[in-house]
Amino acid sequence: MAENNDKILSINHLQKAFGEHQVLRDISFDINKGEIVSIIGPSGGGKSTTLRCINLLEEPTGGEIRFHGDNVLDAGYDRNKFRAKVGMVFQQFDLFENKNVLQNCMIGQELVLKRAKEEAKEIALENLRKVGMEPFINAKPKQLSGGQQQRVAIARAISMNPEVLLFDEPTSALDPEMVGEVLDVMQKLATTGLTMVIVTHEMGFAKNISDHVLFISDGVITEEGAPEQIFDHPANEKTQKFLRNFKQNDF
Amino acid sequence: MKSRTRLLALIATILMLFITFGNHSTRVEAANDSDVLKVGMEANYPPYNWTQTTDANGAVPIDGTHAYANGYDVQIAKIIGKKLHRKVVVEKTEWDGLLPSLTSGKIDLIIAGMSPTAERRKAINFSVPYRKGTFVIILNKTNKYVTAKSLSDFKGAKLTAQQGTLHYGLIKQLKGAKREPAMRDFSAMRQSLISGTIDGYVAEDIEYESYKGVNPNIVAINLNKMPGFKVPYSDSVTSIGVKKGNTKLLNEVNAILKTIPEKKRQQLMITAVKQQPKTESTDKKTGKKQSWLVTTWNQYGNMILSGIGMTLLIALVGTIAGFIIGLLVGIVRTIPTPTTTGKKIGLKIVNWLLSVYVEVFRGTPMMVQAAVIYYGIAQFWHLNLNRTLAALIIVSINTGAYLAEVIRGGIISTPEGQFEAASALGMTHNQRMWHIILPQAIRNSLPSITNEFIVNIKDTSVLSIISVSELFFVGTTIASQTFQFFPTYLTISAIYLVLTFTITRIFNLIERKLDGNRNYNLMANQIQVGNPKNSEGNN
Repeated sequence: MAENNDKILSINHLQKAFGEHQVLRDISFDINKGEIVSIIGPSGGGKSTTLRCINLLEEPTGGEIRFHGDNVLDAGYDRNKFRAKVGMVFQQFDLFENKNVLQNCMIGQELVLKRAKEEAKEIALENLRKVGMEPFINAKPKQLSGGQQQRVAIARAISMNPEVLLFDEPTSALDPEMVGEVLDVMQKLATTGLTMVIVTHEMGFAKNISDHVLFISDGVITEEGAPEQIFDHPANEKTQKFLRNFKQNDF
Repeated sequence: MKSRTRLLALIATILMLFITFGNHSTRVEAANDSDVLKVGMEANYPPYNWTQTTDANGAVPIDGTHAYANGYDVQIAKIIGKKLHRKVVVEKTEWDGLLPSLTSGKIDLIIAGMSPTAERRKAINFSVPYRKGTFVIILNKTNKYVTAKSLSDFKGAKLTAQQGTLHYGLIKQLKGAKREPAMRDFSAMRQSLISGTIDGYVAEDIEYESYKGVNPNIVAINLNKMPGFKVPYSDSVTSIGVKKGNTKLLNEVNAILKTIPEKKRQQLMITAVKQQPKTESTDKKTGKKQSWLVTTWNQYGNMILSGIGMTLLIALVGTIAGFIIGLLVGIVRTIPTPTTTGKKIGLKIVNWLLSVYVEVFRGTPMMVQAAVIYYGIAQFWHLNLNRTLAALIIVSINTGAYLAEVIRGGIISTPEGQFEAASALGMTHNQRMWHIILPQAIRNSLPSITNEFIVNIKDTSVLSIISVSELFFVGTTIASQTFQFFPTYLTISAIYLVLTFTITRIFNLIERKLDGNRNYNLMANQIQVGNPKNSEGNN
């Protein structure tokens, strides 16, 4: 009973095809409250597509996504309400170019959650303080570095008080010296009990932060388990081969 | 946010300014039809008719402007008006616009030195003649063709005549003469004669009489006396045009014309030739360019100002309204395909209609659109649109067609990520569009919108076809009255340049303001973050 309540998202036999090309064949996993799930795997294996399907940025071609037991793919399900509860941080930050930092963090609250302006501002400022971007509230995204933009994007996402926050390779587009500041913020978030799903190539980070690791390749979950098990004793040949690329320098 | 409202307020103020400005020259057309006799003429064809700035010598006001019309035609119109107990108002109309104006009921009579040719009789009725003319060729005294005695003596001569008149066809009878392209009006032909681009032009004797008063260096060669020269009777006389079916008015006009004796007519024409506007030749010789500018300004300053006002009004309203049309069309054309079949078909039909709209209005000249809409609506729906209103509608629709594509391009070029980020926050399609995509799409389209505004300022000049008194129309009027073509058009170009240049600067400023600084100055923004920092310290 208690376990059931803890289950926020349940992905069952998720499939996605782009025309003839079957990107996701059969993906099933659960996301429990407070859990941090990392998704690793080779490029083109389906990591990002899995994440984008969860948030319905891509329309799955099969399977179901259960949110507190209800399938969000059912006709008539309020998708926008669902999306408001599932935050997303993008590889390219995708801050709203026409809004400043503070407005970026407020607009979703005001339009979607219908929060009052003052309340939205308070929450936005609090979250911007958490990511260390409070001094830049009046800056436009263009005026910020990549690392700064990504921190604002995280503040924007958590200002919506999501139940789950999805990270789609949040550090892949950053210069190496800026990766640290973003990972620090994520690390800090993890300690607050936020449920997170992270697609990443930062193996060391994934190993340290995760409760559960999925290795996705060729559209299926090839291997999954606790981080120590996946990183130190990978059972599958593909996982072993993939991790060998990182072994020496990363973890 | 604040700067945006301020910008809107500024635009609104400018708009109001022009509307009040423009209002002076857009007095609503006369109240009751039966009280007013609307007479169509070019007001640009002395001594038959011309434009002047005062009501001297019994001139009659020109509808929709501050100017007055006078001349032989005006005097004839006044006699008719008096007998009919109707007040004469002149509708200044381009030559090619006279017939459609009459058939569409925008005017009651054409009194414009028009000959009742068989072709025109198909469209309208004509009264008995009110003047009989002789055909001449007008040449410079020094021209080698001045000695011509027969029709074939004009071999190789470059001749022209006014567009749409029978004069132009007469050149064919001069064997071997080179028929140059027809010209818009007599002012243009006079200018061509002076500059030597033509050897001469065909006109009536009265044009010679009147032009001689301005330029003594010309001669006229009588064509009527040359053997073999044939002109149908109907072509050598001028009559008053009346709309077909309006027999009552036609009979009344014919009856009145019969009461004007030949002697009185001759008298009126001689007076008209004397009174017609002349160049101030003394000024030209003694004064400098500046004095020309000063005298012209004193005489036509108000006309020019209201011309500028009208041009800006049309361009501004046209661009703003066109922008709104373009925005709506652009949005509809970028709606993603819906899932249900009914909506899919509906959207397809709407999209098809919109692309027809864009193609038609982008693919035809605005001048033609103006003529079709202005005269067409009056003819088929008997809806008499105010000229200024018609101009505003035409420019708006035309601009809308162009800007629809510009906005669509702006929407498409907005990065996909912006849309996805908004979706991920749970925004609806409308929220994504209005708050995220469109502001960026519009910002990206601004250079093209500026471009369209500039084009509109210049292209309002084609609205002269429906006689909107914008800057170019005013320029034409002044040029044809002062015969100072080069300085007038040079001044008009300078005004256009100042207008377009100013507007470019304003838009550049707006763009820069929207973009803000490239670098974020933390120091300058320190004040605002002072408080939270302190509170952090308290924590």
